[in-house]
Amino acid sequence: MITTATNTNDPVIVIRNMKKSFGDHKVLDGFNLTVNKGENVVVLGKSGSGKSVLIKCLMRLLEADAGEMKIFGISIPGLSNKALDELRSKIGFLFQGSALYDSMTVKENLEFPLRRHLNKLSKEDVGKLVGAALENVGLPDIENKMPSELSGGMKKRVGIARMLIIKPEVLLYDEPTTGLDPITGREINHLMLDVQKKFNTSSIIISHDMNCVRRTANRIVVLIEGKCYAEGTYNELKNSNDTSIKQFFD
Amino acid sequence: MKPKGIKSFLNEAGEISAFTGKFFKEAFLPPYEVNELLRQSFEIGYRSLPLVTLTAFIMGLVITIQSQPSMEAFGAESWLPSVVSVSLVREIVPVISALICAGKIGSGIGAELGSMNVTEQIDAMEVSGTNPFKYLVVTRVVSATLMLPMLILFADTISLYGAFIGVNMKQVISFHLFTNQVFEKLNFTDLLPSITKSFFFGFAIAIIGCYKGYTTRNGTEGVGKAANSAVVISTFAVFIIDLLAAQLAGIFHYL
Ligand SMILES: Nc1ncnc2c1ncn2[C@@H]1O[C@H](COP(=O)(O)OP(=O)(O)O)[C@@H](O)[C@H]1O
Ligand SMILES: [Mg+2]
Repeated sequence: MITTATNTNDPVIVIRNMKKSFGDHKVLDGFNLTVNKGENVVVLGKSGSGKSVLIKCLMRLLEADAGEMKIFGISIPGLSNKALDELRSKIGFLFQGSALYDSMTVKENLEFPLRRHLNKLSKEDVGKLVGAALENVGLPDIENKMPSELSGGMKKRVGIARMLIIKPEVLLYDEPTTGLDPITGREINHLMLDVQKKFNTSSIIISHDMNCVRRTANRIVVLIEGKCYAEGTYNELKNSNDTSIKQFFD
Repeated sequence: MKPKGIKSFLNEAGEISAFTGKFFKEAFLPPYEVNELLRQSFEIGYRSLPLVTLTAFIMGLVITIQSQPSMEAFGAESWLPSVVSVSLVREIVPVISALICAGKIGSGIGAELGSMNVTEQIDAMEVSGTNPFKYLVVTRVVSATLMLPMLILFADTISLYGAFIGVNMKQVISFHLFTNQVFEKLNFTDLLPSITKSFFFGFAIAIIGCYKGYTTRNGTEGVGKAANSAVVISTFAVFIIDLLAAQLAGIFHYL
């Protein structure tokens, strides 16, 4: 059984000295990150800097080469399949392109993460959970649509609903607003803040959209050349004189 | 072939073998995705049925029409039904149907899994606690392995109808007499190797499609390449299996 960190001062996610290379291409080279309970941490970095690789290593979708990774105090490398699965059921992952299953309806998409609990849930319960999840993201009445019928913003919302349906305590967002128009992007930012408040979740948000960063970040970590280059609040980093940091704010 | 070509060919062959090994490891361990297996069997069987049926009919008809003159020249017209049906059931129908399935099922699986891969849908399954290898690969491979023999058995029957019509174009022969002549020469030892090899056709087509889809890289461009090379490799595999099957059937025939 996984026991969630009860001490509110314990960090929810700890990453120490994480390393990951593909061949001789070093993507992460000693990266450090800590996320505290209830906090939204933005990882800021140029495209191709290894942001997605970072959270995929955290979820063991990729195997990190070295380093310490802990979620709720549980060390991720070397976790057995069963324990890994149990840990993953407490983590929500929003993929960059939403990653909705395009052969399934919205309803089936939302039911999919519940498969592992199906022996415990009745059909009615599942229906209620799906309805509530769609309500949470402001999209009632689209249960029977296919993902191809939805706009980019709606897909993101359904992706968020699918991630929230298992009631995760930690959320990982991979570029939640990239590719959306500014207005839809703003709506998604609001939704992310609502979720944080309503469910008291802790999140890693990966982004290089400064509007998203400004609105959602409690703290920002800048990822440059595989390392944690700088860390601070939005205003601290905005007033920095370092050219590598400044480029994000121009 | 240049050394580099040989190396990458052997590499690929090795990776497909490892993928096949993983299939056998995952296929027998629970949980079993029964609903998805049935859905895939329906998809694979039902969607290939019209094309396979039509081709089998035309093959039966055409092979009969083409063989007719030479049989007539030898004065062996009464042998036409049995000669034609043996070559249809033993070779032509299984191979042509398998090639059609390599095109239809192989490319379909390659493109579907490839696009699921590049849009991170496979990763999404993994994190939501469903083993995507079991859910996507095992179900498709098992369905194709079971459905191809059924499709081919059905296609055999249809091709014999085609042959019956073909024979009737130049001479009048009752259906009763036709079937009598056919089953005088065509028997279980012709059907058994042909059905046996079709299991292997189905397995090879699906595992190659899945392998190509599952290892797709480089975005949407990669999806097209995955579908394309799934068809090329599985077509090649169909001929290799056919060659081996013919050799083995020959050996058993003399035993
Ligand atoms: N599976 C993989 N195999 C090889 N290289 C990869 C793989 N995944 C990512 N990379 C490389 O790692 C680098 C970082 O990728 P990524 O984390 O996706 O960037 P981003 O910060 O834009 O999310 C890129 O140069 C990419 O080419
Ligand atoms: Mg990325």
